[in-house]
This record gives sequence, structure tokens and C-alpha cells, in this order.
Amino acid sequence: MIEKTVQCPKCSKIIACSGNPGDVVKVTCPQCGNEGKATFKKTIPTNDMAIEVSNLRKLYGDLVAVDNISFSVKTGEVFAFLGPNGAGKTTTVEIIESIRSPTAGAVKIFGKNISTSFNAVKAKIGVLPQEFHSFELLTVRETLIYFSKLYDKRADIDEIIKIMDLASHKNMLYKNLSGGLKQRVGVAISLVNDPEIVFLDEPTTGLDPKARREVWGVIAGLKKKGKTVFLTTHYMEEAEHLADHIAIIHKGKIIAEGTLEELIEKYGTGSTLHIKKCRDANAIEMLKERGYNVKSEGNGDISIKIDYKERVLEILSNLRYDCVDYDSIDIRQSNLEEVFLNLTGAKLSEEPA
Amino acid sequence: MKPRIVVTDFVASMKGWSRSRGTIFWSIVFPVMLILIFGAIFSGTDNPTYTLQVQDLDNSTWSHTYLDNLKNISVLKIEIIPADKNITDYIKENDLRGALVIPEGFGEKVNQSFYDKNASVNLSFYYDPSDQGATSVVRSILASSLQETNLFLTGGHHVIGMDQVSTITKKFKYIDFFIPGMIGFTVMQLCIYGSIERNTKYRKDGILRKLQTTPITRTEWILAKMLFMLFLSFFSTAIAVIIGILVWGVVFNINIWMISIIIATSFLFSGLGMIIGRFVKEEETADTAAGAISFPMMFLAGTFFPLEQMPAALQAFAKILPLYYVNEGLRNSMINMDFGKAALNGGIVIIFAAVFFIVGVILTKWKED
Repeated sequence: MIEKTVQCPKCSKIIACSGNPGDVVKVTCPQCGNEGKATFKKTIPTNDMAIEVSNLRKLYGDLVAVDNISFSVKTGEVFAFLGPNGAGKTTTVEIIESIRSPTAGAVKIFGKNISTSFNAVKAKIGVLPQEFHSFELLTVRETLIYFSKLYDKRADIDEIIKIMDLASHKNMLYKNLSGGLKQRVGVAISLVNDPEIVFLDEPTTGLDPKARREVWGVIAGLKKKGKTVFLTTHYMEEAEHLADHIAIIHKGKIIAEGTLEELIEKYGTGSTLHIKKCRDANAIEMLKERGYNVKSEGNGDISIKIDYKERVLEILSNLRYDCVDYDSIDIRQSNLEEVFLNLTGAKLSEEPA
Repeated sequence: MKPRIVVTDFVASMKGWSRSRGTIFWSIVFPVMLILIFGAIFSGTDNPTYTLQVQDLDNSTWSHTYLDNLKNISVLKIEIIPADKNITDYIKENDLRGALVIPEGFGEKVNQSFYDKNASVNLSFYYDPSDQGATSVVRSILASSLQETNLFLTGGHHVIGMDQVSTITKKFKYIDFFIPGMIGFTVMQLCIYGSIERNTKYRKDGILRKLQTTPITRTEWILAKMLFMLFLSFFSTAIAVIIGILVWGVVFNINIWMISIIIATSFLFSGLGMIIGRFVKEEETADTAAGAISFPMMFLAGTFFPLEQMPAALQAFAKILPLYYVNEGLRNSMINMDFGKAALNGGIVIIFAAVFFIVGVILTKWKED
């Protein structure tokens, strides 16, 4: 038996109800008497593996694009495959989607080996390929209908249009849509068969910050609906913002894997206090004498490692006591960029394509 | 194989086609335009009045009789060149494309022919070889008038002679010749470029990768696309036939050979497009490659002009081009009603189609390397 809450569409009262997976339960609002239904989805236990990749290897001649990688994706999580351009992300995801063949290794989706049972898996996955552009002369709605009719099991197209906030554009030709809308349509296409796993390959590349946020909203919505999302990206903020689990790939190898917190804990440098334009030449020496881990960042900027948050007040008091003059301060948390820097010696955003 | 999926893809292709100005232009406007333009340019050849300049150097009763015979030919308007003029200078000065000279002693030789079977005389027909249209028609008319005259004079014995003329102008009006060629050319263009678009643009746009992850099979997809290409081929054929009938009064014969040849042509050039699309990955380069193949073929395979007007080496080369057999097959089935030749041409087109289409299908892959 599962317990959940629903909101009355009439008076907004939150109502508790319970049912078994797959049940549709009648609910009556105790406040206004409005009657409605609550659906209990057939959920798969979250510890089940949606995707299992073992010893995957892909060679293009002498070039090793994917170098013996193994990882797994749990059902219901957003899995971010993070890495710079050319790291092997798309090759890996396209092998999982059966668009490419591996040189060695195996991929299982819901326990089925895709090299022998991919046709059985097709109905359970939805794919947005990298740099996907749909049929230019079909409208948004016609495009969704086209792709949905390829499947036996289909989601409600109007519902997808609503979820993706495409209602006002549904009769527009695909070619006339903006980049952000095209990506939203791409994601919508990947949902037409109500898939259990959604693969999104670099869904926000080339989009402006506003459009990127819109796509993030859509991906967050997929997670809420219980979908497993396999997201490849080279934007660390995207992985930080969306992912439950992150694998960092570099030069064909997975160099780190875990939750955001685990990665920062393991490979980050903790929090840092940054002092901008410090005008006292002896400030670094004075702070070092007091036992702080201090580093010059150039142009008078100083960074001080913080072990615990109370240290910030302590440092600021000392600076005041020593009459050190500066422009401003800020506290920076460790992030994936720093994790990547620590792991590879290069910034993720500066890695060559 | 799920018919629902095939129909879905066919309907989507139809919607895209009906909204694309480019494909509408190439499948309807362009062939109609060419039929109207070429028809208008050569329409004078249908019920013509050709001006023929004649210089009578004999000025005898027989030369006058022959001139009167020529004047009675309704399509000829006879103009006389004074006998004292130098014919080559006169032609040059007056920019004439053709002139007939009745030589001195013409009447005497004709009279002689009544008792001397070896007596003969040759008229001289001066013509501009670059003007294949009008001059060849005039030569053809002269040849047949000479035949009549010889028949009248001696019961068929050769008295008055002239050069041989091309047989092709005797057989067709130009528009009869042109429209089947135009149909073959249009079907070729639609199928090659349509096929290339699917195999290069769809690959670049990730549509083929996307389809690889859906339940549609390659067979269903190719079948749907071929149904669409057949629709386009027959649609553009119908437009050409309707324009031919309504505007130029052409009488076409619609028969199983013509239909078979159009179906085979669609498969043939769709297969060729698949092959090009497989080896030339970029859309723009693929278009150029298609143009490099289809445009020379259009000119060399007797689409616009009879093969007989080309040098012998090019005529031999044309016979290895599939479009030549398409054009000939369509002419033999639609215009000449020579079904034996149509069957032969159609058979060759079907063999070409089988080879190109099978190779094209084998080479068409959705999966990336």
C-alpha cells in the first residue's frame, strides 16, 4: 500500500489517500466535496538497475574512443554523463541506444542484452539524439503524432504538449521554432511512447541561458514523473542542477562517479574565502602566521581555505584587527569544475573539442 | 511489417512535399515550364511555313514545272534567287539558312532520262548544319517531293537526286519527342534528389539515428519512401501528359509498358540516390554529385534532342546511360506504340533498376560506424 497526497483542483486543499501500485482511487475533498481520482503508478523498486554497462570499449582504427568503461544507472534517477567534448560521451550513449556497435563489452537495459534484444527494449526507451532536427515541414503536433504512431504503446500527445508547454506552438512548423523550442520538441518526441528511460544527448548545447533553463525545467519534470533520465552534458552546472548520480568521463575513461556531494567530498577542495583587491602587501604573511592556508590569486586577490564556517568570522576579525584594507569578499563552494580540475589538471570548460 | 507505420511515413512525406515550394517547383512547375517553353520554341515545326530560297539556273519548262510542284507544297513558301547571283555570296549576304539550286541542264537531263536510264541530275541544297530544326525538315520535304517527281517522270527511276535526310524528323513532331523525354528526366530528378535528401539531410539532422531507436524497420521506411516516390513520379507524369494534351494536342498512349517503365525508373534513380548518399555524406556535396551525374545524362540520353543529331561517339556513349532506355522506352510506348521496342527498353530499365535499387538498399544504413 502506497500513501500519497493530492491537491483538490477546486479549493486547493491537500488530501491524503492510499492505494496499491496501478490503482485508480476515488477521492472526495473534505472541504468542498469535489470528487476526483488519484492514480498510483506502477513503480519499479528504485534499487533496480535500468542500465548496466560492462567493460565497454569502442575503437575507431587506432583511436580509443571508449576505454573499457563500466557503470550502472538506477531506475528513476537522473544520471549525468559529464565530460568535455570528445571525451566519449556521445559514443557511449549511442552504443547504449544501439545506434553504434561496440568493439567490446556489453550493455543491458532492464536486464536485457541490447545486442540480442534491442527490439524488445525499443518500446521502453525514448531518445533525443545529439544535434537532432526533426522534419522541417511538419507542425509540432504532426511531428509528435508521426513518432507516436511508430509505437504500439503511445502516450497522450496533447498531454505531452501540455507538459512541455508547447500548446501555443503546436501548429507551428518545426522549421519556424526557436532553438529552445526545437529542443523542447526533441524532448517531447522522446516521450511519445511513454518510455521508462529517456536518453538526452547534450540537450542544451547551443541554447541561450533562458532556453537552457527551460529545458532543465522539462528534465526536472521527467524526474518527477518517475522517468529514468540518462543525460550527457559538458555543462557542469547542468549536472549539478539536475543529476542524482554523475559519472565524469575523460579521454574515454570514467575518472570519477558518485552523487554531487560524494564527488565534491572526495575530489573537491572544500570552501574558500576570496578577498578581492587586498591593499596590504603583508596580508598574506600575516594570515599565514595566524595558521591559515592562504594563496595569492594575483592582482592583490587572496584565497583562504575554510575548514568550517565559523572560520569566516574569525578571519574577518583578524583582517580588521590587522587593519587590512580590501574591496570585497566572497565565499566559494567546491564544484564540479574544481573536481574536474583536480582530477585532470584542466578546466572542464577549457578542454579542447 | 506494419502497414500502419508505412502509411504514417507516407502521409508525413506527402505533408512535407505539399508544403515545400522547392519540391513543388521541381515536380510540377519546372516540367510544365519546360514543356511550355520547348513546345513554344519548336511549335513552328508542327504546321509550319518554311521559306525556301530557290535559284533556277536552268530556266527550262522542266525547271518551271518542278518549281510549280514545290510551290504547291503547302508548308513551303518559295522565294526566287536571281540566276545571276553567286549563290554562296547571296546566302552569306542575306543570312539564309538554306537554299536550293536547280542546276543548268536540269531540263535537258530530265528529257534525256526518258530514253537514257543512266541520265540523272543533282539539285544542290545549301544548308547551315548548326540549324538542325528547320533545315532538316525542309530537306525531308524536298526528299519526298523529289521521290514524287521521280515517280512521275520515270515510274520511280532515279533521275533527280539529293542528299539523304534524317529519318527522325519524319517520324515525330518535336513536342511528341520532347514530352516523354521530359517525363523521364523529371522522374529521374525527383527520385535522385529525394533519395539523397533522405540519406544525407536526415543523417545530418539525426533523424536516421532517431529512427534506429524506434520500432520502424528499415524495410518499412524504404517501402514508405518508395510509395511516396511512385506517387510523385506518376503525379508529375500526369501533369506532363495533361499539358501535352491540352496545350499541344499530343496523342499519348497510356499502357502497361509506360507504367512499368515509370515504376522501374523510380526504383532505378532512387537506388542511384541511395548509392550517392552513402558515399557522399555532406548534403551540399551530395547535391553536386547528383547534378554531376544527372545533368550530363539529361543532355546525352536524348531528352531534349534526338540522338541522331549527336556525334557517333556520343551516340555510343548514350547507350550505356539508363536514362536513354527510359526515354526511348517511354517514346516507343507512349508515342510510337512500338511495343516490341518498348518491351526491350523497359526490360533494360528493369535490369538497371534491380541492380541500382538492391545495391542502394544494401548500402543504406541507419547504424553509425
